[in-house]
Amino acid sequence: MNFPVTDTSHTLAEYRTRFGYQALEKALSMAPGDVTKEVAGAGLLGHGGAAFPAGRKWGVVKLDDGEPHYVCMNADEGEPGTFKDRWLMECVPHMSLEGLIIGSYALQGRHAFIYIRGEFDLAHRRMADAIEEAYTAGLLGENILGTGYSLDVVLYRGAGSYVCGEASAMLASLEGKKGWPRNRPPRLTVKGLYQKPTVVNNVETLANVPVILRLGAAEFKKTGTPKSPGTQMISISGHIAKPGVYEIEYGYSWEKFIYEDCGGMQNGKALKCIIPGGVSTKLLSASEIAGVTLDHNSAVAAGSQVGSGGMIAIAEGTCMVRLAAVIQRFYHHESCGQCTPCRQGMGWMERILNRIVAGGGRPEDIDQLYKIGEANDGTTICSLGDSAGYACSAILDHYRDEFEYYIQNGRSMYDGNLTVEDPFADSPFANSLAGAAS
Amino acid sequence: MSEITVAPVAAKKLLDFAIDGVAMQAEDGQTVIQAARANGVDIPHFCWHPQLSVPGNCRICMVEIEQDSGDPWFDIACNMPVTAGMRVLTKSEKIKTLNQDTMQFITLNHPVDCGVCNKSGECLLQDYHYELNGAASKSRDPKTHATKFFPLSDRIILDNERCIMCTLCVRFTNEVSGSKALGAVHRGDHALIRPAEDADFNLDVYSDNVIDLCPVGALLSTELMTHARVWYLQATKSVCPGCERGCSIDVWHRKHEWKLNALDPQLNTTIDRVTPHDNPEVNGLWVCNKARDLAQLFERPRAEQAMQHGAPVELAVAIAAAAQLIAAAKKPVAMVSSWGSNEELAACHAAFGTKVSGFVKADHLPRPGEVIEDHLLIKPDKNPNRKAALALYPALPERVSDALPADTDVVLVWGEGFDSALVPSGAKVIRLDSYTHAANATADVFIPISVQTERSGHYTNFAGVVTPFEACFPVKPSIVHAATLFAALSTGSDA
Amino acid sequence: MTGLVQRLIPEFEVWKRRYPAGFDGSLSIPALRRIQEERGYIADEDITDLTAYLGVPRTQIDEVVAFYTQFTRVPLGKHHLQVCHNVSCSLRGAEGLVKHLCGRLGIKPGETTADGQFTLTTVECLASCGTAPMMMVGDAFFENLTPASVDALLTELQETP
Repeated sequence: MNFPVTDTSHTLAEYRTRFGYQALEKALSMAPGDVTKEVAGAGLLGHGGAAFPAGRKWGVVKLDDGEPHYVCMNADEGEPGTFKDRWLMECVPHMSLEGLIIGSYALQGRHAFIYIRGEFDLAHRRMADAIEEAYTAGLLGENILGTGYSLDVVLYRGAGSYVCGEASAMLASLEGKKGWPRNRPPRLTVKGLYQKPTVVNNVETLANVPVILRLGAAEFKKTGTPKSPGTQMISISGHIAKPGVYEIEYGYSWEKFIYEDCGGMQNGKALKCIIPGGVSTKLLSASEIAGVTLDHNSAVAAGSQVGSGGMIAIAEGTCMVRLAAVIQRFYHHESCGQCTPCRQGMGWMERILNRIVAGGGRPEDIDQLYKIGEANDGTTICSLGDSAGYACSAILDHYRDEFEYYIQNGRSMYDGNLTVEDPFADSPFANSLAGAAS
Repeated sequence: MSEITVAPVAAKKLLDFAIDGVAMQAEDGQTVIQAARANGVDIPHFCWHPQLSVPGNCRICMVEIEQDSGDPWFDIACNMPVTAGMRVLTKSEKIKTLNQDTMQFITLNHPVDCGVCNKSGECLLQDYHYELNGAASKSRDPKTHATKFFPLSDRIILDNERCIMCTLCVRFTNEVSGSKALGAVHRGDHALIRPAEDADFNLDVYSDNVIDLCPVGALLSTELMTHARVWYLQATKSVCPGCERGCSIDVWHRKHEWKLNALDPQLNTTIDRVTPHDNPEVNGLWVCNKARDLAQLFERPRAEQAMQHGAPVELAVAIAAAAQLIAAAKKPVAMVSSWGSNEELAACHAAFGTKVSGFVKADHLPRPGEVIEDHLLIKPDKNPNRKAALALYPALPERVSDALPADTDVVLVWGEGFDSALVPSGAKVIRLDSYTHAANATADVFIPISVQTERSGHYTNFAGVVTPFEACFPVKPSIVHAATLFAALSTGSDA
Repeated sequence: MTGLVQRLIPEFEVWKRRYPAGFDGSLSIPALRRIQEERGYIADEDITDLTAYLGVPRTQIDEVVAFYTQFTRVPLGKHHLQVCHNVSCSLRGAEGLVKHLCGRLGIKPGETTADGQFTLTTVECLASCGTAPMMMVGDAFFENLTPASVDALLTELQETP
């Protein structure tokens, strides 16, 4: 079943034809605490990558503490391989907006925020338009739908920083500062934006809230699995034949998804491995996903996580050493620089991998890469450092032989190949050295 | 800091916990590192400071918490509240490994130019390397580079390669001095400490505190860089005479065993640096830059030769001449130094009794552009001991001639800051001073006296706190201590 | 205060109305974006003026401009070509795309063409993985690129007044 994306599917009028804002009306007639209970009862897990129970997060905030409460939609989708939040905001911005308003009502917030990637111009415009439509329709602003509840939404655009997807860095950015994450304690639900209780939720998480309120928790739990109720938006890319955004019910067969729904690999190639949920999740080989269902417990049991839903399919014949170097270049570029293990470790890992790729690898490099990853595991302010370690060590665990080959022979086992079909193979500059060190 | 208030402190709830098996107590609300310190346990740290906000970025203070479940839990001690029954381990295998890893990371791109770095000998990287790492770098790749000599101000050089981004300097300017002059720009291992682009760090009169705060050789005094290695120096406890706050300081000067074989003995009696001495009652952990520049003050050209009417005489001759003048005087008046120590003032008072009318003068006035008073340490009176002097003598009136009527026959000028033109004509002048002044040669008797660094004593600050200072240098034989001198000039009359 | 920030203050004042009281510092990032939209880069005087308007420490603005990749202190080419070279794009030919652009434009990533038309930079994931390889030109995404579509785009951009 395809979602009908048209020139107007993002509008309020069309959203209304799909039960739009009925959930908000219902929520506003409930006690705020009961709204939270409903979301908690539905077992909704966060869709940003950490899978923390959303209702439990909301429940931490004390409604009677006399403090302002802020709900912040994390629309800073930056995890490589992930593009489902962008889809949600470009195509159905009202879904997560309605969820944001309901969440703010549940937490009795007067202001809510949407922090969106600076690079998402179209999504930003669609979301801005959706917000203005909501204001015009009395769904935002003073006295929403005559209930006496008032809410203003600030749409805040980032300016180019992956680490601002980390909740505390996002709030630092929202305060108009550089995106440096913070240590916990205190938790953000106790001291967050401008030191006030703040809940940060992913776009997709909030998009689920109207569904839960409209159908009720019990009905919501009928989809998915007991521990992973509901659905997961998966954005799949890489060597897959049919890349794009898909919505699957938790518990769906992974192999069915890859080989049937997504058409398998380009050119009928064999699947080498899958990065399940953004590069910060550990890759699984083709055989390791056999019989595995797409849900949190199963992914963990298989040795990885659902993560951000950014699935990357990698075909046979891909040089995993070069891929590791590309991934590590990313982490190095995005490290904020605050804490010792990540600030130094990211660059160190990239330098080692680049050296191996350039033909200068040494036998001790493999263990050193593992060691740097371990030294970043649980020792950093945020999980950027840990993630780099997990990503690299998962590649090493599965493809050590490729690294050993590269180190021993000074060249790749697969000629450094990263593509199955390269649209630029026919470019007159395909074999030039121009831009080689990018 | 400007008042001493003694308020009853509510008893804080105490929590029982243990570090490395040793039972101790923490106050409810303290972090592990605070409680450890209060119990005399020093958990290694670069970025933590008891009086600044907690960034938790260096990661060297990681500790392990022993759990009944057996699951490992480790985290930074500087941001971890103590809970009742907590069992903290600072030397477990995991923590030893983590500490080693952290040291490997933090020195990964460090230039290790200790041979030319002035922090050598008091550098935490050196200390923790030996204590926590001890192994060579595991990296086989070239180090990254950054700016080596960035002038943070005229007084401070920043070496970005040595910097470990602990942000102590940034937090100091945000939270203590208030200049907010420093920040961290760029990202990752390209991040740099830089002054705000419109800031002149020279204008932050507390700037040099960041040099002490910097745990490594990234922030160094441009002045000290050419003086001495720290292990050649010793610290003597003293008091800054720059204003009436009287901050506690350490004056650093050459150790005897490291003295220079120099032709000029003066080179071995220089103040090589001044650092704050922790004094919770007076200045806490900080001093202003005036204290740092005390060498400029104390090493002005010294008066070393006693004189009569400008002609050199033996010290004993000059003292005898001065004593004679005072004994014969009918209306002697003394201009009392507000830089005299408590002991010297007492000696003066005991020596002259009621025979000599004394008035306390301000030896030093604020210099043009000098901060008069601020929110932190600086007080308007630029003399260290006026309070003690005023306990014994009245202040010099605005109209100086009120203190020096026409029939004054002897004026004893003790210290600086008195204009000889104000002496009534016909009066004899006895000058006691440490520094060369034109007026020394025109005085009837001139006697050179010692400076603070050549003797021990006490000052009383504006709030009445009495603080001691100790001698750093020997006094030359041709120079006398004022206290000794006053005894010799004693009139024998009652005080 | 002169010039650009002065002119934009009425807009900033409108934005402020949606924020809670005391959130003035938050305006730094949106304001800088707006300034850069007008000027093409952030000038020294913009930082001075913005600091004064927001009442924040100067370092906050200095740090923000240096921290975020989308802010530039120097003018760029008329068209800023930002090519993603992260994982999924690399798996679908991003490296070839970069080489093609370097070849066509005669510059390396990080450089601007001599005529000031094009600046080429490589960037990290733009959440366009399903339509890789791709690039962002200014604010617009151009996806599923091929040599032909890139050449056509470059021609079109070149001809833009």
